[in-house]
Amino acid sequence: GPCRVSMSMTEIRSGFTAIKSNIQARDPIRTLSILSYPDSLHKVKSSDRCCITHHLFNFYVDKVFKHCKTEDSYVNRKISSIANSFLSVKRNLGQCHEQNKCMCGQESTDKFKQILANYEGLNVTSAAIKSLGELDILLDWLEKSR
Amino acid sequence: SGQLYCSLPNPRNVRFESINMKNVLRWSAPEGTGEGVLYKVKYSVYGVGKWIRKPECRNINRTWCDLSSETSDYEEQYYASVKAFLNGMCSDWMETTRFNPLTDTKIDPPMVSVSSTDKSISIILTAPEKWKRSSEGESTSLLQVYPGLQYNVSVLNKKTKKRWWFSISNNTLVVPWLEPETAYCVSAQIYVTTPLLHSGFSKEYCIATLKDETA
Repeated sequence: GPCRVSMSMTEIRSGFTAIKSNIQARDPIRTLSILSYPDSLHKVKSSDRCCITHHLFNFYVDKVFKHCKTEDSYVNRKISSIANSFLSVKRNLGQCHEQNKCMCGQESTDKFKQILANYEGLNVTSAAIKSLGELDILLDWLEKSR
Repeated sequence: SGQLYCSLPNPRNVRFESINMKNVLRWSAPEGTGEGVLYKVKYSVYGVGKWIRKPECRNINRTWCDLSSETSDYEEQYYASVKAFLNGMCSDWMETTRFNPLTDTKIDPPMVSVSSTDKSISIILTAPEKWKRSSEGESTSLLQVYPGLQYNVSVLNKKTKKRWWFSISNNTLVVPWLEPETAYCVSAQIYVTTPLLHSGFSKEYCIATLKDETA
């Protein structure tokens, strides 16, 4: 769409790959997904993609990374490097939103409400760790829809 | 009926091994159990509430189970689990880590075909196909799964041992200005930048440039 935002996908990917099994091992709940329940991100219409992406970057910066402190300094460093990458993308997407190039339809609003409901259905730390463990779901979706 | 005591040692190293999205669950036998151990397998889609048994992998004595069919949707992620039985005893269910077919598969090298003229060689590369249920089934190239797929190509002059490297996105490459009547060997690798994946290098395919008729 009209909103073009560059992001260091390779850097984010390698940061997440380094901590993926550590983070996912901290999430014992197999039966619930924050991003994919009840419907996969891949079902989002292309017209809604920018809005959902904008919401999700805000979500990760405002609600996820800050609640993901671990006892492992290596993991924490990787999390903060991913968070910094997300922060710059969040800013750029915010500008798009202000310039009305990233409009939100009803479906994307409903989808994001569902994601928030899934998140709020757990205690903050569990929800944040589960969301972080699902980062590859977000990255897979972003890459596929590029 | 006999009461099952789950005090049998657990299957070890339960994991998915995936090549071109042929996703096989593998494990090692419980420590110190010897012959006669049987296993059963279940799997689940991450975020969905139920475990699903795999009938073809019930009461098996081998230590692998092909779950390619059950995990073929690479927009989903999966868990699988194995339980061991021996002489009325059983082990705990032992689970894999979360398996993401898209990022956790390994990719085979590309197929390489070469042809030559007197001063150039032409190389055509073919990415492997994604695993499919049956040979009659529709083929999906890994190129469709990974749109950012690229090839790293090495070309070696067998006489001078000089080597060139190329990184290309499309699947054909013509290497010009070569020496006539000289053997060149080509090897290629698949490279995906994100998610970060790369195959090994293919074996070398060698060909000689033709005689220069104008000389």
